[in-house]
Amino acid sequence: MDERFSRYEKIEFLGEGQFATVYKARDTKTDDIVAVKKIKIGSLAEAKDGINRTALREIKLLQELNHPNIIGLLDVFGHKSNVSLVFDYMHTDLEVIIKDQSIVLTPANVKAYMLMTLHGLEYLHNQWILHRDLKPNNLLVNSAGVLKIGDFGLARFFGSPNRIYTHQVVTRWYRCPELLFGSKMYNTGVDMWALGCILAELLLRVPFLPGESDLEQLTRIFQTLGTPTEQSWPGVKGLQDYIQFKSFPGTPLNHIFIAASDDLLDLIASLLCINPIYRLNCQQALKMPYFSNKPPPSTGAQLPFPAALTSRDAERAQRKRKIEDQIERGVQPKRLQFDTSW
Amino acid sequence: MKDVIDVLQLQAQRDKIKRDEVATNYREVVDSTFFGVQFIFECGTKLNSHPLTIATAATLFHKFFKEAEKASYDQYLIASTCLYLASKMKDESLKVRDVINVSHNTLFRGSLPLDLGDEYWSMRDAIVQAELLIMRMLKFEVQTVHPHKFMLHYLKSLQGWLKPEDWKRVPLVQASYAFLQDFHYDPSILDVKPEHIAIAAIHLALQCYGVQVPFTAEEEGNVWYSVFVEDLNKDKVWELMEKIMNVYDSEPQKH
Repeated sequence: MDERFSRYEKIEFLGEGQFATVYKARDTKTDDIVAVKKIKIGSLAEAKDGINRTALREIKLLQELNHPNIIGLLDVFGHKSNVSLVFDYMHTDLEVIIKDQSIVLTPANVKAYMLMTLHGLEYLHNQWILHRDLKPNNLLVNSAGVLKIGDFGLARFFGSPNRIYTHQVVTRWYRCPELLFGSKMYNTGVDMWALGCILAELLLRVPFLPGESDLEQLTRIFQTLGTPTEQSWPGVKGLQDYIQFKSFPGTPLNHIFIAASDDLLDLIASLLCINPIYRLNCQQALKMPYFSNKPPPSTGAQLPFPAALTSRDAERAQRKRKIEDQIERGVQPKRLQFDTSW
Repeated sequence: MKDVIDVLQLQAQRDKIKRDEVATNYREVVDSTFFGVQFIFECGTKLNSHPLTIATAATLFHKFFKEAEKASYDQYLIASTCLYLASKMKDESLKVRDVINVSHNTLFRGSLPLDLGDEYWSMRDAIVQAELLIMRMLKFEVQTVHPHKFMLHYLKSLQGWLKPEDWKRVPLVQASYAFLQDFHYDPSILDVKPEHIAIAAIHLALQCYGVQVPFTAEEEGNVWYSVFVEDLNKDKVWELMEKIMNVYDSEPQKH
């Protein structure tokens, strides 16, 4: 095992999350650059309960998965009382790209990101796995422009009809109405909704529905997309945390996304369908005309890459952004970051 | 008055003998894998664990002792840890304290829950350490494919094939699942394909109740499971069935 530990040569510290520290490292065996996620064991909660459940979930699920658009778990090793996970090294993530004002995202770029995310997600759903925490920050991008879905700390198997799931999943801005209403039996729709929010964010370059509380989140959703009724969503009133909202008519999507083509608007509307029964699944989404219409999606090299990663000034700006973010989103649990150091 | 007390005493004595017969005294029985797995089943049931969690724990236990020297580890510590680890893997959040208390009470029958003292803390420490040890021994490959899901699928199909009166008359599902679950006592569960175990358990249940799947004739090589698996013949199935039956004879002499 010590042999495995020395196999990875630490290059630099990348970031720190709630349960782990991430380093950039060189695999001395293959000379590849990898990300080593060292699960913290020193914290109180850790020593108390043994191996971290989040890490165990990632190990369990990712060992089974192999897809170009899913982060690859290359190795797991233990050293002393630590457990470390070795991942593909990813240079940046979609959150950084969206927020980088110097980057122009063309319609072809957006289509490419959506396509890669959908391919990865379709594979996941076919393996009966829900990700449950999709957001731009968890869509990692490498220098070749390939997008991979990362952070499986909340993912789990679904499909068992008698299993009760917690509704306290998905970062609030990307959380679908059935979760906000406390539904405990949900489906791939939770990931599809999050994907719709991410698509909207790619176009607007700011979070689409940034609610500050669960209640405000629902208000924002209904203001934008219309309040559901017992007709449009049978059974909605029976959900555990259902509250009667003021009846909003909703805003036409072409007033929000003024530059978007009709086929793109169709995709957004069907991903952000309030009633989970009618929300698109990955397969249906991939068959939407948007993906076969012009323009074709950009290929790897044509995709933008944040200048921030090479220039020092920009890096500092980026760091500032992260700090501002933290103040802004004080209540949001901070997840792992692969892209910056602070 | 004297008579009454005697009767009560006799009753208590009889109950005690009965209890001793049923419950294994793990501290005094011979050091056999059989009792290690029994310990997992007993604690798991007391903790209200899902049968799949218990099956995972038993599988982890066998995997561990396939790699490790039996005499070097306390098998009940490993058993408790496997149960705890399995519950984490199955997203069933057993509390480590409950695992410790149930394990302790099962080892020392009639004892009270442990105080938060040295003994408790050292047990907890032992479980946490053993957990990491198991993970590393298994090279972090902890995912197991269970026969249960295959069995569900096969039984669902058989439900449609069997005569409805046979299906109603005979507890085929319960028996098959019981055979499968009990087969987890046998370390060779690691070496058999999950599909094959599922078929053998169902076939054994069919044989026990004398149920014939319509339009099949085993002697002629015309078997119900041929649509599910290609690499299984009659001899192999009967060999596996024998393995399952052997579990029931394999309980060692306790002393």
